[in-house]
Amino acid sequence: MLFSSITFLYYFLPVMLALYFIAPGKWKNIVLLMGSLIFYAWGEPKYVFLMVLSILPGYGFGLLIQKHRGKSSGRIYCIVSVLVSLSFLLYFKYADFFLENLNHAAGLKIPLLKLALPIGISFYTFQIISYTVDVYRGEEAQRNPCYLAAYIAMFPQLIAGPIVRYADIAGQLEGRRHSWSMAASGIRRFILGLGKKILLANQLGELCSVFRDSQEKSVLFYWLYAISFVLHIYFDFSGYSDMAIGLGRLLGFQFPENFNYPYISASITEFWRRWHISLGSWFRDYIYIPLGGNRKGRKRQILNILVVWILTGFWHGAAWNFLVWGLLFALLLTVEKFWLLQKLEKSRVLSHIYVMFFVIISFVIFNGENLAQGISDLGGLFGIGGIELVSAEALYCLRSFGFVIIIAGIGATPLIGKVIRHIRKRPLGEKSMQVLELPFLLVLLLIMTAYLVDGSFNPFLYFRF
Amino acid sequence: MGRDRIHKITCIFFALFLAGGFLMCVFLPKKSYSEFERRKLAAMPSCTWEQVWSGRFMSDFEKYAVDTFPGRDQLRTWKAMTALYVFGRKDNNGIYGFEGSLSAVEYPMNESSFIRAVERFHAVCEEYLTEENRVYLSVIPDKNCFLAEESGHLAMDYKGLEAWMEQKAEFAEYIPISDLLEKDDYYRTDTHWRQERITDVANRLAEGMGTSLSNDYEAHSLETDFYGVYYGQAALPWKPDQLQYLTNGAIDGCRVYDWQNQMEIPVYNMEAASGRDPYEMFLSGSLSLLTIENPKGEKGKKLIVFRDSFGSSIAPLLISGYEQITLVDIRYIPREHLGRYIDFTGCDVLFLYSTMVLNHSETLR
Repeated sequence: MLFSSITFLYYFLPVMLALYFIAPGKWKNIVLLMGSLIFYAWGEPKYVFLMVLSILPGYGFGLLIQKHRGKSSGRIYCIVSVLVSLSFLLYFKYADFFLENLNHAAGLKIPLLKLALPIGISFYTFQIISYTVDVYRGEEAQRNPCYLAAYIAMFPQLIAGPIVRYADIAGQLEGRRHSWSMAASGIRRFILGLGKKILLANQLGELCSVFRDSQEKSVLFYWLYAISFVLHIYFDFSGYSDMAIGLGRLLGFQFPENFNYPYISASITEFWRRWHISLGSWFRDYIYIPLGGNRKGRKRQILNILVVWILTGFWHGAAWNFLVWGLLFALLLTVEKFWLLQKLEKSRVLSHIYVMFFVIISFVIFNGENLAQGISDLGGLFGIGGIELVSAEALYCLRSFGFVIIIAGIGATPLIGKVIRHIRKRPLGEKSMQVLELPFLLVLLLIMTAYLVDGSFNPFLYFRF
Repeated sequence: MGRDRIHKITCIFFALFLAGGFLMCVFLPKKSYSEFERRKLAAMPSCTWEQVWSGRFMSDFEKYAVDTFPGRDQLRTWKAMTALYVFGRKDNNGIYGFEGSLSAVEYPMNESSFIRAVERFHAVCEEYLTEENRVYLSVIPDKNCFLAEESGHLAMDYKGLEAWMEQKAEFAEYIPISDLLEKDDYYRTDTHWRQERITDVANRLAEGMGTSLSNDYEAHSLETDFYGVYYGQAALPWKPDQLQYLTNGAIDGCRVYDWQNQMEIPVYNMEAASGRDPYEMFLSGSLSLLTIENPKGEKGKKLIVFRDSFGSSIAPLLISGYEQITLVDIRYIPREHLGRYIDFTGCDVLFLYSTMVLNHSETLR
């Protein structure tokens, strides 16, 4: 089920919230778990059992690791639990990729499994791993299987994150406070996230779709597509994260932030501190640092960066373009770490141009159906292949989507937030904002409902990860 | 007002909004047909184990929830207005309004679709016609061809398209009509042309096919407003059209036979004029095979028109030049069946299609 759907907004959410707030304290997690399973089953009725099957070993290993903590057997249980979790992910997400490449390389004809990718498997697998590793590192294991399942399957962050670590949420699972202020801030965050998704991301996605279907490609059209996709993926994913964080607050949970205006970054290093923060910190804490991080010499550090970014690329999808995307960032981050970072500090403008150029390049590769298409799209950006500079369709799309792109461009910076803060400081500013905020949110909700009812373009990119 | 109070009010209004939305979705009566969009709305799917397990129940329910959402028509209007006037989009779901007219962005030209259509026409000629039949072809430009240049929308290169058709359809003599048409010759809210404004087109076609028409028409107006197909698709507040139809002695005196339903029908169906699509008043709308007999027409002068819905309004204007006109819509009758119903001997044949059908010719059988 998508947050940005009539079914979620007007059927699931009202019933879920009513039952959740009616339920007495200890039952809230049970209601949350049941609701989350229904939410997941709505999109994947068969794979809901797979998710439960993935959670159960995590629960068992958590208890075993706690029992054997400090002994070598505890370490073995931890390793086995990680391997078990990864085996589900490898089988359902990567088996066909490896089989296909093995067939290609060795001239074999092993039939592909052709399995549908279970929604959110990458996210919930990482949460299960985070749980068992956190228990290994000293966190108290969860004795109530329903509570653990509620953490793993919690519908706000189940299918697209943010990746919530067990250590961050363990206390809230046992007992959390609900307050008007937290709920109200959750509502605001949810509605604004929904707006980012429906009003901006979907329209930008529509432009990308028009480009893909067009037979009239031109250099202008390639750039229009590339810029639109960069904005689209940001508003799609950060909008979904905002909705998840907002719903979390509504239910009394504090989820970690996932985005912090990544496109204002002055280096790729900074970009990855602002983009998909929960994934970046997961890889840092569960892969990079355990591998030695930067503590074992320069060569080892480069190797560690490479491993982390190959895995980050593959986490996004079982295809070569994701691997190349990851390797590009590994290269850029390595160059920055050992040489470029200090130079970038000298010119803010040039550093922004550098970041946006490589971000655009990387996402063009990322969004290709395959590596060949990604490379072909890159060529299109630079007029390779004898394409025209401008086409009628590109100009039309520029006129039709130009304002959306401008709004999205401004919305991807902290400018609007700064303006609002400035207004609040002025005489009567705070009061007028207080009066206007609620009507604004309700009108926004109505307009978004109108977009959903019209059945316009409504894909969700991170479903596939 | 204190922050706490603001927080409480925000939560209460949000809860009321969701609860109200839920109650309306569940308890308000549901429509099964949308007059506005001219289509059947999705029905509540049956909730069986098989349907749920396969995921069909969920996907069908999503469609049902969207289709039957309370105030759907009004919400669609708000969406269209937001898209066009807030976000500055040039079109909403491919529909735009300009100088009082609504139109679809019919673009780009799908060459393979045109080739397919020409191949279908050629196959008809090969299968049923001889050297004695004279074959004509004319393409009706869609309204967008006239609006787009001024409004800044995309449109097919109609001149190029005509040249292309002339070259590809060598089996037929091409009769150009675009120079006689302009945007006001089409209904403001509909795809079709206005019968009262295409008498010159009828004359050009008749002249091209070696006959002449009596132009002694009398115009009649319908009292009801006509909201065309673009009105529902655009979902914008728009002025309705007025439907007019023309009569003369030949039209009044002719008899129309509907082979599909095996019955005689009027040239202008007044029941359809007050129905879901008033344009269907012209020869009762989408019918696969019709014969119009003109007892006062020149003996032996017969025309077979392969046509789409545009043909329904122009055919009555052509009847004064013929003893019999047969109208065939090969979207609804397979080509292989034509020989059972139509005697092609000595008939002139006209292929008269709009760019919209030619650009989506997968419907041609």
